Amino acid sequence: MAFINSYESCSCAGNTQELMNAIYSKSTKITLDTSYIKECSVGLGKMKNSDFFEVLNNTTDKVLKKSNLKNFNDSLLIVGSSIGGMKASEKHYFKDNNYKNIDHSKHAISVIQDFLNDKFNFLYTRSISTACTSSGNALLLAKRLIDIGAYKNILVVGADSLCYTTVCGFHALGVLSSKPCTPFDKDREGMNVAEAVAVVLLQDSSYKSNVELLGVGASSDACHMTNPDPKAKGAISSMQKAIQDAGIGLCDVDYINAHGTGTLANDRVEALAIQTLFKNTPVSSTKAVTGHTLGASSLLEGIISCEVIKQNKLPPQTGLLDAENQNINTIKETVQREISFVLSNSFAFGGNNISLVIGVRK
Amino acid sequence: MRVAINIISAYKVYAERKIEDLQEKRIVPKMIVRRRLTRSAKIMLYLADKCGFKDGKIVYASAYGELQAAAGITDAILNNSPISPTLFQNSVYNSAPSYFSMLNGDKDEIITISSGMKSSLDALKTASLQALVSGEKVLCVSIECLDIDRIEEVNLCTKYLESGACVVLEIAENEQDAKEIQEYEESGIIESLQDLMRVVNMSKKGFNKVFVEL
Repeated sequence: MAFINSYESCSCAGNTQELMNAIYSKSTKITLDTSYIKECSVGLGKMKNSDFFEVLNNTTDKVLKKSNLKNFNDSLLIVGSSIGGMKASEKHYFKDNNYKNIDHSKHAISVIQDFLNDKFNFLYTRSISTACTSSGNALLLAKRLIDIGAYKNILVVGADSLCYTTVCGFHALGVLSSKPCTPFDKDREGMNVAEAVAVVLLQDSSYKSNVELLGVGASSDACHMTNPDPKAKGAISSMQKAIQDAGIGLCDVDYINAHGTGTLANDRVEALAIQTLFKNTPVSSTKAVTGHTLGASSLLEGIISCEVIKQNKLPPQTGLLDAENQNINTIKETVQREISFVLSNSFAFGGNNISLVIGVRK
Repeated sequence: MRVAINIISAYKVYAERKIEDLQEKRIVPKMIVRRRLTRSAKIMLYLADKCGFKDGKIVYASAYGELQAAAGITDAILNNSPISPTLFQNSVYNSAPSYFSMLNGDKDEIITISSGMKSSLDALKTASLQALVSGEKVLCVSIECLDIDRIEEVNLCTKYLESGACVVLEIAENEQDAKEIQEYEESGIIESLQDLMRVVNMSKKGFNKVFVEL
């Protein structure tokens, strides 16, 4: 059993408490920006503190202080990130127009694990980079390692900062929204690139929390590098596997925290997948508040799922006026009710799909 | 926790600049698809083909990912040129195994490790975990493609700019005759690949049962 005993996050919506307040009050924290793309305004999710590594250190430290551990010396660290140190490399390259001042060890994805290991001295570290499912795959590995008894404590970190490569790259794909994104809406424009740090301590026994990572499911679309399988087979498969792994039924799921990026392709296919499996289960995407935090998104939304269960409150779909798919239950207002099981989806480039079931056993 | 794994098949390939004859036309007959592939994807397809792997769980590792695509994007941004959408989609670290899954219709789990200089070791650990929990054979592959313009500005010690190592593994029924990973490294190969190279070299010497710490 993998208990989610301690967690914290930082995103454009602030810390976890501030984030949940923003979600329940339908207050998007996306800001319009013209600094990344010339003569073009796009919505981005920027953290207040621009020192990414300071945020990383502070957020991890908060998780340690909330836990029953004195340190992380006997813990495994698993990091999920799609950017790593790209932001620092860009800075040097744009200034020098050469690679001479780029520190290769600080360019790589592993810069995050190395930084945290220097600060907190973990037993072992490893990093995963599967684009927007990076921290979801980190959770999948962590759960399996705890389930077989290989580790008692695993710290999972999802962390990605804003950088030119991702903002301009998604712009090149034509999927950015010029305003705060409106997932599942008929008139949605696209997504908002965002940054975040999310940190979760998974342990083999409970401490001040009975919320567990109950199930993980993963699949590949085997279809297209950027577009999801139009028949949604990959998304359906990852959700089914996660539910099966959790040992619950489809009808037990109380809420679906959708991947819901706000792009035309993702939301259409994800809605089809949800419609195929579920009858009237409430659905929303919290990316309307946070933006798409890329490699950090699975874990950030895992934390949101924990809060939804603890607060027994369904998050409404911010920005939704007219739902494109009327066959899924996209909820427009906050609803207070008992919530035991949340399904959270993340999908990535390459057709990499992850679904998580987070919940409390009765 | 330690497990013993069987190495079912193993292969390695490397070159100072560019690996020749990856048999791309045979492995990917459609030119329109072949043209989109990254160098890492071509090497991965070649290695998987050599190991006889077509379908199943994949654990892929790379310390630096798709450097050529990443460099192309930053160049375009610096020069105010349009960014190629193909370049951007190819820039993610999981693009090589994703191309493999598309070309082979493999819908199973793909995990990409990027743990700096211990990437291939962590891939081996992760692949062993995947084999343990599923009871299946798993492809573990590690590739680095550093052959980009002006790489000499940052590369001071790696002789072989393109390199890859690959094993298909399963959990062994027992630990009898299993060996620790031996010091059979390859000189001039980037450190991130060395652990998997050692396992490939052990296999070439007839040691096909290896201990892996999860």
